Amino acid sequence: MDLFDKLKELHEQGLEEIKKATDEQTLNKVRVELVGRKGELTKILHSMRDVAPENRREVGQKVNELRDLFNKQLDATKAEIVKAVLVKKLEDEKIDVTLPGCEGHLGSKHPINVILDDLESYFIGMGYKVVQGPEIETDHYCFEMMNLPKDHPARDMQATFYIDSEDLLRTQTSGDQARVLEKHDFSKSPLKMVGPGKVYRRDDDDATHSHQFMQMEGLVVDKNVTMSDLKGTLEMIAKHVFGQDRATRLRPSYFPFTEPSVEMDVSCFNCDGKGCPICKYTGWIEVLGAGMVHPNVLENAGIDSTVYGGFAFGLGLDRFAILKYGIDDIRDFYTNDVRFLKQFRKEEN
Amino acid sequence: MLVSYNWLQDFLNLDQDPHDLAEKITRTGVEIADVKHPEEGLKKLVVGKVLDCKGVEGTHLHLTHVDVGEDEPLQIVCGAPNVAAGELVIVALHGARIAGNEKIKKGKIRGMESYGMICGLQEIGFSDSVVPEEFVDGIYVFPEDADVKPGQDVYEALGMDDYILDFDITPNRADTLSMEGSAYEVGAIVDQKPKVEDVFLKEDGPDWTDSLDVKVDEKLAPKFYLRKLTGVKIQPSPLWMQRRLWNAGIRPINNVVDVTNYIMLLTGQPMHAYDAKTFSNGKLEVRLANKGEKLTLLNEKEVDLDPNDIVITDGEKPVMMAGVMGGLNSEITAETTDVILESAIFDPTLVRKAALRHANRTEASSRYEKGVNWDGTEKAINMAALLLRNDADATVDEGIIKATDTKRKPVVVKTTVSYINHVLGTEISAKDMIKIFDRLGFMVEHDGDNIAVHVPNRRWDIAIPADLVEEVGRIYGYDNLKSTQPLLAETHGGYSEKEEMMRRMKAIVEGQGLMEAISYSLTSPEKAVRYTKDPKDLVKVQMPLNSSRSAMRENLMTGLVDAASYNFARKQTQLALFEQGRVYDHDGGTFNEHEHLAALYSGNTFAENWQHLTQKVDFYFVKGQLTNLFTAIGIDLEKVVYKAEGIKGMHPTRTAAIYIDKQYVGMIGMIAHAVTLADKALRGSELYGYEINLDVIIPMLTKGMTATPAPKFPAIERDLSLLVNKDVTNQEVENVIKSNAGKYLTALKVIDVYEGSHIEVGKKSIAYSLTFLNRKDTLTDKVVNNAMDKIRAGLENDLDIKVR
Ligand SMILES: [Zn+2]
Repeated sequence: MDLFDKLKELHEQGLEEIKKATDEQTLNKVRVELVGRKGELTKILHSMRDVAPENRREVGQKVNELRDLFNKQLDATKAEIVKAVLVKKLEDEKIDVTLPGCEGHLGSKHPINVILDDLESYFIGMGYKVVQGPEIETDHYCFEMMNLPKDHPARDMQATFYIDSEDLLRTQTSGDQARVLEKHDFSKSPLKMVGPGKVYRRDDDDATHSHQFMQMEGLVVDKNVTMSDLKGTLEMIAKHVFGQDRATRLRPSYFPFTEPSVEMDVSCFNCDGKGCPICKYTGWIEVLGAGMVHPNVLENAGIDSTVYGGFAFGLGLDRFAILKYGIDDIRDFYTNDVRFLKQFRKEEN
Repeated sequence: MLVSYNWLQDFLNLDQDPHDLAEKITRTGVEIADVKHPEEGLKKLVVGKVLDCKGVEGTHLHLTHVDVGEDEPLQIVCGAPNVAAGELVIVALHGARIAGNEKIKKGKIRGMESYGMICGLQEIGFSDSVVPEEFVDGIYVFPEDADVKPGQDVYEALGMDDYILDFDITPNRADTLSMEGSAYEVGAIVDQKPKVEDVFLKEDGPDWTDSLDVKVDEKLAPKFYLRKLTGVKIQPSPLWMQRRLWNAGIRPINNVVDVTNYIMLLTGQPMHAYDAKTFSNGKLEVRLANKGEKLTLLNEKEVDLDPNDIVITDGEKPVMMAGVMGGLNSEITAETTDVILESAIFDPTLVRKAALRHANRTEASSRYEKGVNWDGTEKAINMAALLLRNDADATVDEGIIKATDTKRKPVVVKTTVSYINHVLGTEISAKDMIKIFDRLGFMVEHDGDNIAVHVPNRRWDIAIPADLVEEVGRIYGYDNLKSTQPLLAETHGGYSEKEEMMRRMKAIVEGQGLMEAISYSLTSPEKAVRYTKDPKDLVKVQMPLNSSRSAMRENLMTGLVDAASYNFARKQTQLALFEQGRVYDHDGGTFNEHEHLAALYSGNTFAENWQHLTQKVDFYFVKGQLTNLFTAIGIDLEKVVYKAEGIKGMHPTRTAAIYIDKQYVGMIGMIAHAVTLADKALRGSELYGYEINLDVIIPMLTKGMTATPAPKFPAIERDLSLLVNKDVTNQEVENVIKSNAGKYLTALKVIDVYEGSHIEVGKKSIAYSLTFLNRKDTLTDKVVNNAMDKIRAGLENDLDIKVR
């Protein structure tokens, strides 16, 4: 057989071998056999001396063509094999993405503190300092400084936990007002504060009463603070908490430590003012009490009430949370049932 | 106070919708809690005349024929005991609607056709508490003076066409606890002057003023007036008065009692009527009760009088608890012929306390405690006498005994127009402001900016300029105030540094997956100090609601364990709770409050999952969480020391006290079996938690920091495997390693602990990984080997530990 026949045969056989290889190892073997240093093509080149000189060029050319063809085919087959391996690997690695993930535990803020934090950051943004006072308060700060002398009828409205004749669990955060008023240096700056905290009343616990709850006191005092400023401030608070589309109204009310005193209602967000059980068919929901600081409160703290004046407000945080989240039992805040608390994981701010 | 819209028309010309008026009053003066229209929802209720009535044998029923103004009388079966021929009654016709939205239809009762129903007052919506005694258990029968005809609607005759405004007054507005007071208030709001009439009384009896010796302590009763009426005919009051009483929520009794109540409603002055026989010995005294004295009140309750109760006596024994309630022994009865009327002012505080003490707040006492108009005493007693003269055929004896008659001068408040505007943020002219005071019935002297406002005694809530600001503000209308923001010098809002740090710590533990709890501060004295290392004197409240809420907690853990119990009882056993709040004590005679943070875990570290990638919460998991918290707030962990210590309520061998720089900062451990075993819900559970004192920790923290670059030279790690006696603690081993390791040891980690069958009894093996680093140069093996040799020597010398 002459070289040309051999080459022809190799051509066919080689392509057949390459085609048969289905893994990289076999393919490498084929590569060595065909185009390796001791492979078939090299062997043919080595046997060139048997070829007639006039044909050598042609044989050389054919061998090179065949080498190129084999290399091309080997590379292509290799790519196919690699691809097939990868496909197999990926198939093996396949997971069910619909199986559930491994969950850690998610923390949550207590609903009352969700409301509190929101209000605090709101007031801080308006230049209010957050001030904390003692929960075990004296009769002096809780009542007398707040224009509630002993025997004042309003004291009956607030059943008080007394510890002894002078010390008590505060029934209101207003004591913080008195303490701050006494210390504040008005020659340096106006006073703007909010005072959040726990308060206590001697009420039996039921769906609407709790012997412990949370209040936030607000106080602004300077030379030119007006009741119009109070109105504007309260409207902003009410809309911030209950929605910009709420209507508000001020009603005259009575607190011993403010004069005039008002309460603010917002239009019922359940019935939009038409009347329903939540608003007791009035269309309005009472949300806070406020007023202009009573001159006696200022004078008690050594402040000249003819020069300085201002407003104060009190917000019931439990009440806000009850209204905002549609809660019908105040005890839910203090039993710490995780099925209840869990819901507030989304209420982060 | 329930204020009748129709009655208000006696004083004012009102033409607005009662609901609109209520809204206006709410925004301007007193909150109207409710507007009731008694006939609302009722239908086809007419007056009927019972033509004949006969009993149905063997039943309590009556078969009647009733003229309801139609051509034919209606046959109606009626079960009421008091139905009788000739009566004018309330008939619910076929198709009628009565109280409770109940429909009445014709039907058969015991085979007898019945074309409607004869009604009692409760059946058409009256409250039991206002129905006259004689009609409580039967049908209502119109009195002769009702002037009604068969077929007429019943509503007007019964006052049900009225609108009743519920004045939900604040304590300062007791002036509106009367029709006259309400009329002044509503008049000011709608800008009308109320027609409040004076009394012209004819006295036709003899002068009686010398017949009774009256002794009154002026301090107890600064005003004390008496009148006498004779020949009184006790009978029901006229219907118009009964109507007004029941619409105001008061049950008509008889004409004398009704007049005293009516006058109280009209003028706000509580009145009392005694049977004159009570003082037949010619003496009456107002004094404080003596210890041991008793009095049976009109409600038939016998009370032990307190030496601070004011009483009216017949010179010897009490016959009335002043300002609160009369005594049974001086009561008006059907036999009464002569009546002594009392109109007085009593000390408000003493009346309030007496009513509270004897749990007997009455219409009278609630008025006295809030104050009554000092100018109304005489008008009230004369008006009452006049009404009894008209309605009880009484003869009015001449003269009023004014045993005390302290005068109160009307208050004059001086202020300026500009002050009022300054506080309100308004620009109301002096003229408009004076007009507002005129609407209120306040006379004003006016000189430029200065005003002097004369406040009538009926408005005893007004004494200082701020009170006038309120009057001007509310009549001007809070709706008309501008809404502005305070224009002040700039202030810087924010939290205190301590508060900032507490908030940061809360955010960290929340990020660790803890849910925030809030517990009650009050707990039992035992729980208050459970979980507290060194209990201090407790803060206890007087008169607690119950013994389990009588002392202030000295730790937060107790609340979290309570929460765990609550949740376990509801099958919620996977817990990760924290609370940040105060604890309280009375150490050293002062009341102290400290901020704490506590966490409590139970269940698994991860939510249970199908890969089982979770483990039970244990001491080390919780300690790791706490360590992360310490790291995150910048506490040098080298300074944190855990010492096994016993703490009440905690597991005796799984609890540590935590010290930083030798200061006790808190504890960590497992809740004692003694606690969980004693609680049915928690039995068999393992709860782990920690509690730290933020008041101690926060001052240790530093704000701000300087960064160091990441190390430029490689670190060298070495492992150390030790066989140690079981009672040697990791802390002890670490101390020795650290003190011998030299300055390049940067980390020391426990990588394995083993106790068990593969090593000798009484021993355990601990393996550590040590990291050495020189920040300034490459560390050589020689240096590290040197250090390791020293460590081995130290362990052998100090703890007799062989390195494996
Ligand atoms: Zn509503």
